[in-house]
Amino acid sequence: MKVDSFVMENRPHESAAKHVSGYANYIDDIVEPEGTLYGAIGYSKKAHAIIKKLDLRDVWKSEGVVSVVTSSDIPGRNDIGAVYDGDPIFPKKVEYFGQPLFAVAATSTELARKALQKVKITYKNLKPVIDIKEALRKKLYVLKGRKIKRGDPLKKISKAKNYLKNSFSLGSQEHFYLEGQIAFVIPQEDSDFKIFSSTQHPSETQQIIAKMLNQKNNTINVEVRRIGGGFGGKETQSLIFAAICTLLSKKTKLPVKLRMDRDDDIIITGKRHDFYSDYEVGFNDKGVVEGVRIKLASRCGISPDLSEAINSRALLHIDSAYYLSDVSVENYLCKTNTSSATAFRGFGGNQGMMIIENIVDNVARYLKKDPAKIRKVNFYQKNKKNITHYGMKIEDNVINEIYSKLIKSSNYKNRRLNIKKFNLKNKYLKKGLSFTPVKFGISFTTRHLNQAGALVHIYCSDGSVHVSTGAIEMGQGTYTKIAMLISNELGLSFDKIKVFSTRTDKVPNTSASAASSTTDLNGAAAINAVNKIKQNLALFVKRKYKVKSNKAIYKNGMVKFKGKTFSFKSLIKDAYLNRVSLSSSGFYSTPKIHFDSKTFLGRPFLYFAYGAAVSEVLIDTLTGENKILRVDILHDQGRAINPAIEKGQIEGGFVQGAGWLTMEEVNWKSNGELTTHSPSTYKIPAVNDTPEKFNVKIFKNLNKENVVNKSKTTGEPPLMLGMSVFFAIKDAIASVVNYKIIPNFNAPATPEAILLSINDIKKKL
Amino acid sequence: MTSGTIRFIHKNKVLSIHNPDPNETILNFVRAKLGKTGTKEGCAEGGCGACTIVLGELKKSKIIYKAINACIAFVPTLAGKQLILVEDLVSGDGSLHPIQKAIIDYHGSQCGFCTPGFVMSLFAMYKNYSFYKDDIIRDSISGNLCRCTGYRPIIDAAKSLNKISKFDFFKRNQQLSISLLKKIKLKSIVISNKNRKYFAPKNVNELKKILKQYPNSKLLSGGTDVSLVVTKERKDLDSLIYMNSIDELNYIKKNKNYIEVGATTPLIDFELFIKKYFPDFAQILKRYGSTQIRNICTIAGNIATASPIGDTLPLLLSLDSQIIIKDKDKTKILPLNGFFINYRKTKLKKGQFIHSIRIPLLLKSIFKAYKISKRIDDDISSVCASFNVELKNNKVKKIRVAYGGMANIPKRAIYCEKILLNSSLSDNIINKAKKSLEKDFKPITDVRASQKYRMEVAKNLLEKCFLEIKQKKLIRINT
Repeated sequence: MKVDSFVMENRPHESAAKHVSGYANYIDDIVEPEGTLYGAIGYSKKAHAIIKKLDLRDVWKSEGVVSVVTSSDIPGRNDIGAVYDGDPIFPKKVEYFGQPLFAVAATSTELARKALQKVKITYKNLKPVIDIKEALRKKLYVLKGRKIKRGDPLKKISKAKNYLKNSFSLGSQEHFYLEGQIAFVIPQEDSDFKIFSSTQHPSETQQIIAKMLNQKNNTINVEVRRIGGGFGGKETQSLIFAAICTLLSKKTKLPVKLRMDRDDDIIITGKRHDFYSDYEVGFNDKGVVEGVRIKLASRCGISPDLSEAINSRALLHIDSAYYLSDVSVENYLCKTNTSSATAFRGFGGNQGMMIIENIVDNVARYLKKDPAKIRKVNFYQKNKKNITHYGMKIEDNVINEIYSKLIKSSNYKNRRLNIKKFNLKNKYLKKGLSFTPVKFGISFTTRHLNQAGALVHIYCSDGSVHVSTGAIEMGQGTYTKIAMLISNELGLSFDKIKVFSTRTDKVPNTSASAASSTTDLNGAAAINAVNKIKQNLALFVKRKYKVKSNKAIYKNGMVKFKGKTFSFKSLIKDAYLNRVSLSSSGFYSTPKIHFDSKTFLGRPFLYFAYGAAVSEVLIDTLTGENKILRVDILHDQGRAINPAIEKGQIEGGFVQGAGWLTMEEVNWKSNGELTTHSPSTYKIPAVNDTPEKFNVKIFKNLNKENVVNKSKTTGEPPLMLGMSVFFAIKDAIASVVNYKIIPNFNAPATPEAILLSINDIKKKL
Repeated sequence: MTSGTIRFIHKNKVLSIHNPDPNETILNFVRAKLGKTGTKEGCAEGGCGACTIVLGELKKSKIIYKAINACIAFVPTLAGKQLILVEDLVSGDGSLHPIQKAIIDYHGSQCGFCTPGFVMSLFAMYKNYSFYKDDIIRDSISGNLCRCTGYRPIIDAAKSLNKISKFDFFKRNQQLSISLLKKIKLKSIVISNKNRKYFAPKNVNELKKILKQYPNSKLLSGGTDVSLVVTKERKDLDSLIYMNSIDELNYIKKNKNYIEVGATTPLIDFELFIKKYFPDFAQILKRYGSTQIRNICTIAGNIATASPIGDTLPLLLSLDSQIIIKDKDKTKILPLNGFFINYRKTKLKKGQFIHSIRIPLLLKSIFKAYKISKRIDDDISSVCASFNVELKNNKVKKIRVAYGGMANIPKRAIYCEKILLNSSLSDNIINKAKKSLEKDFKPITDVRASQKYRMEVAKNLLEKCFLEIKQKKLIRINT
């Protein structure tokens, strides 16, 4: 294995020093030109209604108000739907509580927000549908669902020795990025706009705004330096704010900043899809699943948004790490009068996995066996049982190895015995333990998104390097990792490389920073650009210095050709004086992947990321309170570019996943009003919710595929490690009746849900 | 002597503002007027900690450093204090503070938006403690939300501070800071800004006069409720009286019968004191709110707000606390029981203020309190329960049972108390007492819990209390 000097280093985040000293600029920190106005959005207070009258006279008269925009100010497309229509900027008929109706520009944010309250809206009320089951009953869908099938599950289930049937539901989740939605727009000459948006998707922002304004894409320039967290919540949900901000700027011909208040942000934007499932499963006495049928319905909100891809990823992960020989899934994309559910770390994959994890867990409980063992007997194998239900051969399977190592290193078996003893001794406090695996497919399932561009310049006077890509720095450290890759390619120290803010005028047609693929794609594109420059240099050196080979080693600031060595700096200067191009674009498209969405067969993923977690919890059976006592994680990150950054993703992902399945509960009133829209009503994990003992280890591996540095992404996969907490709580609940009955237990595991499940299980005994 | 000018220290310079807008938050001020954008807005309600700043206050010739949420603190409350922002931790030569270095070294920032807040919370911890135990670290940052890291690297960064010198830039300049703080020693403040008024009286007499003249004024302490009128309801507060400037109300005293707590005593000070007498009270206070909140919030504020989920209230009710109320002429001592009349309504009349609270020292009693919420820290209770039990020969000689989150006010469970009084602690009695809670309370379903859950947990907490008494041990997941 090649040892590289500038990768696999625990280097701090490139902005760490700025983060800690307050000098990292987010959009709200950019110095504003004189005359900047401030926006605010007025939204519907009904979930389903026709707007009879929107009386804005008093809004216009309100102190500090300079302008007001409504749908009549939109010259082009009144929709921000990225794939399908259905997300109007300002609708005539409102479909959810929180849907924007108008916006104000005023001399301060406070005055703009005050002005909103002076609107008079006359609604004609229509009945809202909030609940998934009601939407199912009424057959309300945002898109037609689909059925996928392998084998003959019906037959297998009927022939199987054992049978289980039940339903299971999973909650939604609010992204709660710490930096709320924000856009800042500065009008330019002609009718061009410079747009700063806190977005994971500058290219989509550019396209949507161009369509809204009926302008060409080349008149819109979107720039993003960093965002204060995204997690999927700024993939499409940022679009409406950038669009409305641009509209205000267009109308006033002034710079406008639109910073959302936290409550309004949560009320307006979409969240994770919550799911409801019915299932039946047939299995043998060893716990091997022989046939399984699942009905899978998700709450999509008012529009398709990304729901098609998210539900598709749920279907692609309905196997988790298990070989399902005979399986069928019916998928329904329910339309409800709630904000349009959207991308969120895991992107449906985690929901699909939870469904089957719950089934396998119940199979084990039915057979009175340790769920970890039953998980193991169902795992994909290396040479047989290695074709997924969508026809992809798994070539990089390490889940069995991870299982063995983690069961051992976490001392699972002893702890299982000790927990049983503890539970026999303690009537009111109970402990639970669970192992859950992760196998997560990496690549956008929409094939064309698996491409990236880059632009690299080397400056002739000092040899410093400037890198632009389509990657958005949202905390995952992609700028750091890309700079490390380039630093490694050029044999230059890290400080010589600068990854610049991401701009649509530098690198066009970018994909969202999503699907865990950001560094895989953009890092490879940047390396491709560097290689092109290296090629120019090699040709030049060969021509001028008559060296025999094109090959050169870039290391420690030196460039070594056969027979001739240069310092990097002098070679660059030399090349410049000899009129050699020191700038290049780069491109990368993921190889091997293909997928037929009609037959649901193909190879949608380049590779899989693997991991597993063992969690131990303590619950109070009188109150439902719970606590994570210990977590052991073993995670496959390939050959990491920056192990410290990957560890951060693993730990943070775990906590976010555990939050999703425990304390984070999104709630709507029956009239469609969201009740959980602030940190006082929606709780994300805080410091004391992290495990007391938190052992995170890296599974030593190389990516079999040709991915940058042979690494594996850690963006989304670690979120699914949090599943182990949910099943450990379920294990603790089962202990109340000495594991005799399968708990009826849905996510999120709030104290109330836990107590409810305990009551239920006690009644059944 | 009063002044319309507030004076405070920033970077060892005295800054003066004449008649500042009393509805402007410190967060908006530092970002817009000082041009310091390191301090971030995350929620504008004191719930995420991204806006954490530190205020230095002179106490007995020593500077006490308090982390607070700048998003719910108004500019005039800076008067007489040292303002410390995240940028100020970087010394003149550009070198970073040990906390900043530690967070970098331990990879404690990812997206970085919450990071300045964590830095400031840990800075206050670094200054106020000499050794950073795990629970001190966790408590210091329990009000700072991070969505990226999962907190482990931040905890490790904080632990590493134990290994480094305590001599920082602020220590070096301490004498100068102290002399400046002495120089700007607080005067009574009366601000007129357009039609908005703000008073920060220095003593009770001034307060009485202001209240008489402006009986419609809002009393401001921690501001967790009052400030949201501006930041969330987008309304103006035309007349504010800041209570926390009254030093003579910032006290805790004790005699053999009771503990008396002055109205402006911060919860964090009270928590330290009460720990010895009622450990469960201190535990609940820890979970009442973040360090930032407990640094400025007061028991009097909690009582006056009269929220059904105010966590100190059921505890004080079960302890038979008394409340001392004053106005221009009179002093009244009322039992807290009966003080809450209706949803967020108390017996406090216009022109009156809460002077202090008396908590009887019950030497023979067993006191227990429980808080149920979705998150352990900085969450609002779905149910809060408090029990004060005196046993003699295995019989209940005296009993007080009070709950929060079970009615529109914090309330004692009278029917339940009746059943328990003079009874033995048999299963039968406990079951009857549990059942009687249905007569005492008709809880509601809301975002935090359902009616059914609230009632069941209320009953179970009663059971738990007596189980713990019988078994002489705590049955809790957090001990």
